[in-house]
Amino acid sequence: MSATWSPFSYIVTNLARFIRPNEITFSGVNSTMPMLACLMAKKAYDWDFIYINVAGGVDPRPSKVPISSSDPVLAEHSASIFANEDFYDLCCRGRMDLTFLGAAQIDGEGNANNSCIGDWHQPKVRLPGGGGGAVMLPTARRACTWRTEHSPRTFVEQLHFRTSWGGFHGVVTPIAVFVKKNGRLALGSWHPESSLEEVRARTGFEFDHSDAGPTPLPTERERQALAELDPDGEFERDAAVTLR
Amino acid sequence: MSSGFNNPDKHMSVQDLAALIPDGASVALGGSFLHRGPFSFVRELVRQGKKDLEIIKQSPGYDIDLLCRAGVATRARTGIVALEGNFGLAPHYRKAIETGRLKLEEHACATLTAGLRAAAYGIPFQPCAGIHGSELTEINGWQKLDDPYGKGDPVWVIPAIQPDFAVIQANEVDSRGNVRVLGTSHWDRIMSRAAKRVLVVAERVVDTAVFEAQPEVTLVPYFLVQAYAVVPNGAWPGSCWPHYEIDYPAIEQYLEPGEQALQAHLDAAPEAKQEQTV
Repeated sequence: MSATWSPFSYIVTNLARFIRPNEITFSGVNSTMPMLACLMAKKAYDWDFIYINVAGGVDPRPSKVPISSSDPVLAEHSASIFANEDFYDLCCRGRMDLTFLGAAQIDGEGNANNSCIGDWHQPKVRLPGGGGGAVMLPTARRACTWRTEHSPRTFVEQLHFRTSWGGFHGVVTPIAVFVKKNGRLALGSWHPESSLEEVRARTGFEFDHSDAGPTPLPTERERQALAELDPDGEFERDAAVTLR
Repeated sequence: MSSGFNNPDKHMSVQDLAALIPDGASVALGGSFLHRGPFSFVRELVRQGKKDLEIIKQSPGYDIDLLCRAGVATRARTGIVALEGNFGLAPHYRKAIETGRLKLEEHACATLTAGLRAAAYGIPFQPCAGIHGSELTEINGWQKLDDPYGKGDPVWVIPAIQPDFAVIQANEVDSRGNVRVLGTSHWDRIMSRAAKRVLVVAERVVDTAVFEAQPEVTLVPYFLVQAYAVVPNGAWPGSCWPHYEIDYPAIEQYLEPGEQALQAHLDAAPEAKQEQTV
């Protein structure tokens, strides 16, 4: 194990660690890191889980890892196509065990803004929009997200717009893993090269940290699995995540 | 007058297909992000200088970006908009909203689907799970109803969304206009049932016998389809599984600023090179 744990590997690995045996787990559009996390978990862990994705794939065996997380190769060798209406309905009726959803801003309760920076009617920045979140965040059993920028403008006391309510179960950034505790995001662990002080300084809301410590380093199998998925480091370069 | 399309003259050029769309129409577009979208048709809307179109799609990207860049779309009902991959936000769509040139009705993908379902089911609104706590309910003025049977929690209801047209990118059609889509159908099925009429751009025409051998693969029966065009590679620069993948360099070229880059992109498209034959 090298002295440094790249922030890219940190995010993907910790997203994979939210996946549990036999559960129905979903990765969607615009979700390269969750896609990699799901593919990684299939390789790195002894147990299996039910992986479905926005390309309609059910436990696919893609011939390559696509740049687009909705690419049809994510349905290769799938024995069925579980299309968009299917996975939304599954989530709505309470049977989506884990879904990964994007978020631009996240508040202390784990609610998300995916809509705008500034006023909704006259936005400074128009963001992608409601997407899966508004319906999936309150209806999925657990929802996890990731943010490559950990700063007081992404982790905020007050969202500019509350696109999705319901509270993430888990949030991963280059320096920290948050987990829901008593209806709030609590610090689960921090990157071994970061610290509680740094996470505090870069987070716009107060959080419980009574259970937190350094994140356990990746296992050999986790490292191996990610290396197989990204042998040339292309995804890592494209993601361009930095610790600071 | 029949409720279905039984006309024998459905096969036309993509130019004639786009000409069926009047200014001001609402148009649902099939596919998702860069995958199996009717992009040759969308480019043709741009070439014909259409005005004031409303675009309906859960997850548009290149298509709505192009229509905003060219000033064709002025209204949109969308769930999530991005170019995806490494391209991130759709820059011209973003700018159109930030400058007030595009009026957005922001949805979650599932609420837009609920609106389409209401239209498909022939009812004025459709309940949709989730949404509680989302400020989208306030922005859109959505209402919540009590369960009249007194068993469940109150439920949000989304008003019907009936597009004038649904435009689908298909793998195969037959001469009558039956439609096959391979791989995921994204949102195309509900769009085809909700819209007043369906237009199709297909990769190729196959014999009706192919459809009859496996009718369960047919996504849209011919009588819902008003007309179709055949444009090989028509979903370019996006993918059409299993025929071809995303052409990333072409999208990079599209994203270069300026009129010249846009024109070069339009001129490089397969339908621009295709002879205007039917």
